[in-house]
Amino acid sequence: MHKHPDDYIKPELMACCGAREIKDGDVVIVGTGFPTMSANIAKYTHAPGATLMQESGVYDASPKRPALSVGDPCLNPGAAMVGGLLDVMGMFLQAGWVDVGFLSGSQVDKFGNINTTVIGDYQSPKSRLPGSGGANPIGSLAKRTLIIALHNKMRLAEHVDFITTPGYIEGADAREKCGMSPGTGPQVIITNKGVLRFHKETGEAYLASYHPDTSIDEIVGLTPWELEVADDVHETEPPREEELRVMRDVLDPLRMIKIYENKGYV
Amino acid sequence: MGKVITMKEAIARHVNDGDFIFIGGYICRTPFAAIHEIIRQAKKGLTITRSNAADDFDMMIGAGVVRRFIGTFLSLGLYGLGRCYRRSIEKGVPFKIEVEEYSNLSLPMMLMAGAMGMPFVPVRDMVGSDLLNVKSFMGDDKYKIIESPFDGRPILLVPALHPDVAIIHVQQADELGNAQIWGIGGDCKAGANSAKKVIVSCERIVSRDTIGKDPSRTIVPDFKVVAVVEEPFGSHPGYAPGFYDVDFAFGALYQKASDTVEGFEDFLGEWVLDIEDRSAYIQHYIHRFGYSSFKALQAEFDYGYPVSYAY
Repeated sequence: MHKHPDDYIKPELMACCGAREIKDGDVVIVGTGFPTMSANIAKYTHAPGATLMQESGVYDASPKRPALSVGDPCLNPGAAMVGGLLDVMGMFLQAGWVDVGFLSGSQVDKFGNINTTVIGDYQSPKSRLPGSGGANPIGSLAKRTLIIALHNKMRLAEHVDFITTPGYIEGADAREKCGMSPGTGPQVIITNKGVLRFHKETGEAYLASYHPDTSIDEIVGLTPWELEVADDVHETEPPREEELRVMRDVLDPLRMIKIYENKGYV
Repeated sequence: MGKVITMKEAIARHVNDGDFIFIGGYICRTPFAAIHEIIRQAKKGLTITRSNAADDFDMMIGAGVVRRFIGTFLSLGLYGLGRCYRRSIEKGVPFKIEVEEYSNLSLPMMLMAGAMGMPFVPVRDMVGSDLLNVKSFMGDDKYKIIESPFDGRPILLVPALHPDVAIIHVQQADELGNAQIWGIGGDCKAGANSAKKVIVSCERIVSRDTIGKDPSRTIVPDFKVVAVVEEPFGSHPGYAPGFYDVDFAFGALYQKASDTVEGFEDFLGEWVLDIEDRSAYIQHYIHRFGYSSFKALQAEFDYGYPVSYAY
């Protein structure tokens, strides 16, 4: 049996949820923050053969400080390969070599579609957001995508204002109809309240597990669509002792992950 | 006439109002010295492009030199949304720029197509998203979907881009413009080679012999290059691997300044408009933050095993 110390913070639990989705040998494309943490936890525990890359052109970096962007200087020295966007987004991602991609967004809907373009109307938006960047190709072409989101009615939506990155679009077979590879798409939405997975038939997200300090009712109440609850819904497994040790001793001794608490991940 | 000239001459001679410009960089090797000079010379009506734009594009938009943006993304990274970009799109300040939206796969591929002399290129992203439901100044030429002549399946095509001029910052170049980089490449090589001419800004000018000691690092050959400008610290507040680090504190300064129109204008005055050139910029930086701050950004040397091309 695994030991589960109870002094963890919510972002640590979420990082562990991400790590548990990664299999040994997976090729993972990461951004910064959570994704890198999740992928590295997996690498140091159950998936030593997983490898990481950044869209900017970096493969298998060994940064001496946490990277603050995918263009961070600390990703250069020690990497196995440093090329450019065409190498990672073209030669690796589009060519089908990437197993897992991490995504997040200002708005995520029940089909796992993600909006990072505008809040409101496109022509006269309330907020102009950064845009796709690498998100659309990662969401379109990685075999599985893992979505990180804040669980509230602002960040989750029945339908996003703008589909920057397609999830299941409007149903389970919509991706294939558009020409995307069968079997690809979002696998999970990891929120600060629970873990949502997707129905194979409808492409809609349902509640698979709730985090220890919350309840099914609370989560359903915080979700802006009628959230279905799995028959086998259960409490999310808290961080294991080994996972916390890797995070705190090896990956993030300064515990920079705490900044996510200020961003609402509590 | 030699190609080694000042940034002032390079921008005056080779960047015209209304030009379409590729600007290289990915926080890594951003050609900031050139960007400041473009703003000082108050160029008008530019179309700018690159994947993953940051504070540099935000600043150009705020300064009013940009009319159109072929982009994928613009943010201040750690410091959130691009303030000037937001003001332009949301409030029309100083005016609303036109944006053609692609992704970090499609846009590099379009630049590659331009560099390769291909008219267009098939890509496998963007389908099923609203990126295909919005078209700006490129209109129906933003993309086409055809049935592949090979397997009959629908395939998305995006057009080649041919910028009038590319501006890149590199670690080293020779006096004729053979330009060498190391570290994160972004879309710099494809973008530079897609353009009709290239302005090379570099940390140091080296001899042709030095270039020849490691020619695999060259991303642009001299025959495409019209100007070579030696600009040490030319990417600040971005970085150049082997030379200096990202200046995170300066990023925070820009974010705070650009929160308001007044703050942004003060920033432009202090760091761009009232500054003569890059060496004056460095002097101002040291005057303002102290030599120790400047020194702290400088990279330590950590040489690898030297390569040999001998046979």
